[in-house]
Amino acid sequence: MSGTVAIVEDEKTIRDTVAFALRREGYQVVAYADGAAAWESFQRSLPDLVVLDIIMPRMDGLELLRRIRGQSATLPVIFLTSRDEEFDRVLGLELGGDDYLCKPFSMRELLARVKVLFRRLALAAHPGDDAEQLLEVGRLTLDLRRYTAAWDGSALPLTVTEFMILHALAKRPGHVKTREQLMVEGYPHDTFVSDRTIDSHIKRLRKKFVAIDAGFDRIDTVYGLGYRWAQETA
Amino acid sequence: MSALSRLPVRLLAFNILLVFLPVAGILFLDTYEHHLLDAQERTMSQEGRLLAAALEAGGDLDPVQARAILVKLGQRQLARLRVVDDAGAVLADSALLGPRRPAPEPAASPTPALRVPPQQRLLYLIGSLPFRLLRGAGDQPEDERDLIDADTGTLAGAEVRAALEGRYGAATRVLGDADRTVMLHIAIPIRIDGEVAGAVVVSQSTRRIMSTLYAVRLDVFRVFLASLAVAVVLTLVVATTIARPLARLRQRSGEILDRRGRLTGGFEPSRRRDEIGDLERALAELTRRLEAHLRHTESFAADVAHEFRNPLASIRTATEMALEVEDPEERRRFLEMAQRDVARMERLLSEAREISRIDAHLDEEDRGPVAVEALLGGLVESYRLRSGNGWTRFELEAAGERAMVAGSADRLTQVFDNLLANAASFSPPGGTVVVTLRAAAGQAEVVVADDGPGIPEEHRDRIFARFFSWRPEGPAAEHTGLGLAIVRAIVEGYGGRVSWRPRHPNGSEFVVTLPLASHPARSPAPAGAAEPAARAPLPDAHRDTR
Repeated sequence: MSGTVAIVEDEKTIRDTVAFALRREGYQVVAYADGAAAWESFQRSLPDLVVLDIIMPRMDGLELLRRIRGQSATLPVIFLTSRDEEFDRVLGLELGGDDYLCKPFSMRELLARVKVLFRRLALAAHPGDDAEQLLEVGRLTLDLRRYTAAWDGSALPLTVTEFMILHALAKRPGHVKTREQLMVEGYPHDTFVSDRTIDSHIKRLRKKFVAIDAGFDRIDTVYGLGYRWAQETA
Repeated sequence: MSALSRLPVRLLAFNILLVFLPVAGILFLDTYEHHLLDAQERTMSQEGRLLAAALEAGGDLDPVQARAILVKLGQRQLARLRVVDDAGAVLADSALLGPRRPAPEPAASPTPALRVPPQQRLLYLIGSLPFRLLRGAGDQPEDERDLIDADTGTLAGAEVRAALEGRYGAATRVLGDADRTVMLHIAIPIRIDGEVAGAVVVSQSTRRIMSTLYAVRLDVFRVFLASLAVAVVLTLVVATTIARPLARLRQRSGEILDRRGRLTGGFEPSRRRDEIGDLERALAELTRRLEAHLRHTESFAADVAHEFRNPLASIRTATEMALEVEDPEERRRFLEMAQRDVARMERLLSEAREISRIDAHLDEEDRGPVAVEALLGGLVESYRLRSGNGWTRFELEAAGERAMVAGSADRLTQVFDNLLANAASFSPPGGTVVVTLRAAAGQAEVVVADDGPGIPEEHRDRIFARFFSWRPEGPAAEHTGLGLAIVRAIVEGYGGRVSWRPRHPNGSEFVVTLPLASHPARSPAPAGAAEPAARAPLPDAHRDTR
């Protein structure tokens, strides 16, 4: 599995390290120090995936994503953020990033996300693969190979992290998952994620469900403990 | 009513205390009453002595003569005169000589309302109650009936007995009538041939005096009641205009911090023009500044956290990779990356600590006068030595060499060191950094100029902001973005200003102005008149271009 990954990051150390790690995994890597330089190159040819810092001189990550979306609606983008407020802002905006990692992030986590997004791409390109692994919980369907989800047959546009958190909740309906447990399942390779991050993702998940079903209320908040996928009562 | 529990109560007590002044007047009236009674007694005894003298002149004491003398007195006296013999039997009585001449009544009653005697009015009875209770224990006047011996019809009162024993006698007696009129009696011995032959008894009601007094007392009591009412009303007014706003302020200040100690809202600035309005405005200003300070501190903490994340992310990914790679060369490269970012975090930490220390403690630091030229000279020299015969030349132009500035030498060194480092980093190969010192109009002005690329328009308003760093090329990571922020914090802490302006044809000029210290050796001269010699630019500004 190979493809071209663009890393857009003004911190030289991070840029070099990420580029090195991705190359070691067998990807083609192009690196840019700011949004303007990246955009200049993207106008000629788009990469297969973008890892994007948000705060950069000369065109920030959000502006670059807006321009990329003008070219391609499906190009996977992973954001790297360094502020909590920034993280909330990115999640709040319907920008269509495919995943988010907070600095300082784990390199293994980033590589795992890149791998998942490439798998999604590959499966989307070659549908009809029979050996589908499906988890069905009431009206919810989770495709564990493609990392896609559907509610009542309508596709849910989830980021990889959101998918993993939803999967952790839905595979044991009625059981409470603490924020710590959700962090471990949502970020299997990272150890330094704040629990506010989980709250932001849950908020975001609910919003995405409500967008296709206004009466959605499956995700319960259990105060002082965590979250729970409500058991079907009918 | 918690609003009425403290301050208003004290005000009420004070007001009522003032109201009791008229009561003191009533007590004063008591002594006035005694004077009046004394005067009446003197008049009566004079009358009595005249009668006694007339009777003594007659040489004998017989009823006919006595009656004749009383008739001669013509009923003009106001008092009742009685003449008794040595056994107390009445020989003559002015009351039996027909109706008295009408006394000059005080031109009838001024108002019909006064028909009821003042001392019988309900108001008077209420007002005098405490006095009556107090006096109840004191000496009671004797009963009028004791004057006359019921069996013999002779006068046998104590005053009469005293007179018959050759002494002066006096007594007050209460008539058994409804008014409880007080009668004043005096008795004077009549001596014939050295023997007490009888006595003259003069009796007069104190009613006239007392009724005047009663009327005055009633008026005073009315004034007292009116003052009391005014005092209560005034206290209520004061309570609403002082105590209620104060209670509101107190409540507001209690609500201003939530349970977690965070500021929630503030005081609304008041439109009142009084002291409470001043207090409200002062509190509003205080909370506004406190809030601004807290917001500043919070955003600084958030900025610091943010600035730490990038080097931390670098260190994390680099060490992760160092553990994974097999090639020792590659491993070394990643560890060196991590090491660079550790150094960057250390720099960031020390500068962040420095800037918060400047914020908190600059005012407490020693501020000896510092000779700016010597300080700049030393700095420029050290930059020259560091650059060797290399890229950048450093020059110092000093026109006001005696400029003294109040401040710490370390802090001022920090200011100009940061500016020189900044200028040197922007200076192109072969460029020149020029430092100019001028002293004029009470200000020392230091300009640090370089011939680098200058600063693009869009960044000019942010160059002194914390954590802002802009570099036309090369890694921004080498700079924490705190150097110029530290410069501004110190200069503004010393009451000066720092600004940037473009230099022609290219480059930057950083301008620092600091107030000159008044010379400690001189007597404090009025502002503007001090140190004219030091301020005037020297005619030959020496240009130091070694």
